[in-house]
Amino acid sequence: MPGEHIVFEPAYCTGCTQCVKACPTRAIRVRRRKAVHSKDLCIGCGECIRVCPEGAVRSTISHGIPQDLAEMAVAIVSPILYAQFPGVMPSDILVALKRFGFHHVVDLTNYVEMFQFAVEEFIHQNKTTGQAPWPLISPICPVIARLIAFKYPNLLPHIIPLKRPAALIGGEIRSQLQNIYHIEKPLIELYHITPCPSKALAHDVRLLDELGYIDRAIGINDIYPELIRYVEDVRKQDLDLFSPEHYGNVTNARAPLWGMSGGEIAGMHVDKTLAVSGLRESIAYIEKIEMGLFPNMEYIELRACPEGCLGGPLTAVDRYLAKSTVQQLIRSLGLKRRLPREKLLKLYDQGRFMSDTHPSVMAERYDSLRPKMTIEIMKRVEHLLSRIQGTDCAACGAPDCRTFAEDVVRGQADPRDCFRLREKGIASEVDKIEISG
Amino acid sequence: MAALKKCFHIKNRDFIHAGEASITVQNMLKQLNMDPKLIRRIAVCGYEGEMNVVMHGGDGQFCVEVDLDKVVLNISDDGPGIEDIPKAMQKGFSTASDEYREMGFGAGMGLPNMETHSDQMVVESEKGRGTTVRMFFFMNP
Repeated sequence: MPGEHIVFEPAYCTGCTQCVKACPTRAIRVRRRKAVHSKDLCIGCGECIRVCPEGAVRSTISHGIPQDLAEMAVAIVSPILYAQFPGVMPSDILVALKRFGFHHVVDLTNYVEMFQFAVEEFIHQNKTTGQAPWPLISPICPVIARLIAFKYPNLLPHIIPLKRPAALIGGEIRSQLQNIYHIEKPLIELYHITPCPSKALAHDVRLLDELGYIDRAIGINDIYPELIRYVEDVRKQDLDLFSPEHYGNVTNARAPLWGMSGGEIAGMHVDKTLAVSGLRESIAYIEKIEMGLFPNMEYIELRACPEGCLGGPLTAVDRYLAKSTVQQLIRSLGLKRRLPREKLLKLYDQGRFMSDTHPSVMAERYDSLRPKMTIEIMKRVEHLLSRIQGTDCAACGAPDCRTFAEDVVRGQADPRDCFRLREKGIASEVDKIEISG
Repeated sequence: MAALKKCFHIKNRDFIHAGEASITVQNMLKQLNMDPKLIRRIAVCGYEGEMNVVMHGGDGQFCVEVDLDKVVLNISDDGPGIEDIPKAMQKGFSTASDEYREMGFGAGMGLPNMETHSDQMVVESEKGRGTTVRMFFFMNP
C-alpha cells in the first residue's frame, strides 16, 4: 500500500480536521475526535504531515540515524541535501555524510544529466513515432504518478517511461561494487537520503524502479542535526586533502537545479514546456491536460510539493532558503554538460534508460480501489446535499458536505453526525427521504 | 427516471474561473464511469461554450442534465445575443476584439467545433436578448 508508511498518532491528535481537508484523495476522516485514514485511498503525498499543527502525523520512512549500517553501506544522495546548507560546497557535505559510516556516497549529477538527455531523445523520437500521447509528463514525482494512476488513469500513457536518476545508478551499483570488492551482493545496502516520504518501499509502484534497488530510505530531516555538526567540522578542520575522503567531487549545479520546480526543464533543450508545483495546482493542471487544453505542449513537469522537491516534507530547511542556496550553487558551479553525446545516444539505443515497467501498469493496481458511483447514487447525494445546505464546516469529520453526503449514501457515515441535519430534525429520517420526481 | 441536473454560474470576463464548470462536469461524468471519449467531447464542447459566455456573453448559466441514454448541456447568457446565427456558425468568423485575439482567442472555431463534436446542437438567440446553446450527446446511438 502506498500509504502504509503514513502513521496517525491519536495521542497528539485534537481532531482539528486540517488533514481531513488537505488530503487530495479524501482518505481521512475524523471519528470520535481522532483522525483515521483509509490506506486504500492514500497516495503517500504527505500533505497531512505538512498541515498537522500538532505533529500527530508522521512518516515511518525514516528509521532515524542508521545504527546498524551494513558492511558495505552506500548512500545515494538526493541533491536536495546540498540545498540545505547555504554557502557550503556540495563536496564538503558528501565528506561529512561519510562520517555516518557510509562506505560510498553517490552524487547524482551524472545520472541527472543522463536522465535529461534521455528525456530530450524520447521527445525527439516521439515526434516521429508518436509512441506516447502529447503532452508528455515527467515521471519524477511519485505522488503525481500515483495521483494520475488513481484519479486520472487515462493520462498514464502520457508519463515518460524513463528511469529516474537514482534508479539509473541503483540498478548498476551492486554489480560494480561486487566486481571491485569481491563481496556478496546482499552485504551491499543502498540507502536513499531523500526529502520525499513517497520513496519508502511501496509494493504498488513498480514504476518506481529505484525502490526495487534501494534498501532503505532516510529522511534528510532525520540526519540533519548530526550532519550539520559534521559539516562544520569538515569546514573547520585541517583536512588531509589527499585522503580518500576527498576523491568524490560535485562538478556542477545541474542536480540541485533539477530538484527545484522548473529546474528539470530549465536544464533541457526542449521548447514547449510547463512546470507546476504544489498539490492543488498540479491537480488543477492535470484536469486541464485531461480536457485537452494543451495540444501544443511537449513536456510538463509536475511536482506535488511546493517549489518542487525543495519543499519536500522531509527537508530540514525552509524551501525558499533552499531555493536561494541552489541559485548560489548555480552561480558558483555553473550548469555545463559533461557527458559525451555519442556515448549517451548509444546507451539510449540499447534501452538502458527505459524504465523496467511502463507507467500504465499502475492502473490495474488502483482500478479496484476507486469508489463506485452511479447516476442513482449521485442523485441521492445531490438531494441530500440540498437538504444539508452546509458550509463544508467538517464538523462531521468529512472534508466537505459533498463527501459527507457520499459517505452517508454509501452507508459509511451516520447522518446524525451532521449538525445541520440534526438542527432541521431530519437526521434520523434520511433513509426515508424520497428522491422527488 | 428524471435526469440528474446541475447548474453553474458563469461570470462574464472572469478568466480566473473560466473553464471550471466544464472541469467540474468532466469530473462528475468520470465518477459515473462514462466512456472517456464521450466525456472528452462533452468537456470540449462545454469548455468552448463556457468561454464564449466569458468572452462575449453577459453573465450566464451552464447546466448539465445526465440521463441513462444521454447528456444535455444547456449554456445560456444574458449578453448581446447573436445577430446572424448562420454567419456565426461559419468557420473563421469571429467577433473577438483585438484584446481577445492577443490572448489567443478569436480563431472563429468555437461554435463550429461545438456543432461538430456534439450529436445535436440548437442555438437560440436574438440581438439584445441573450443566447442559449443546447447540445445533446447520446450514449449508444
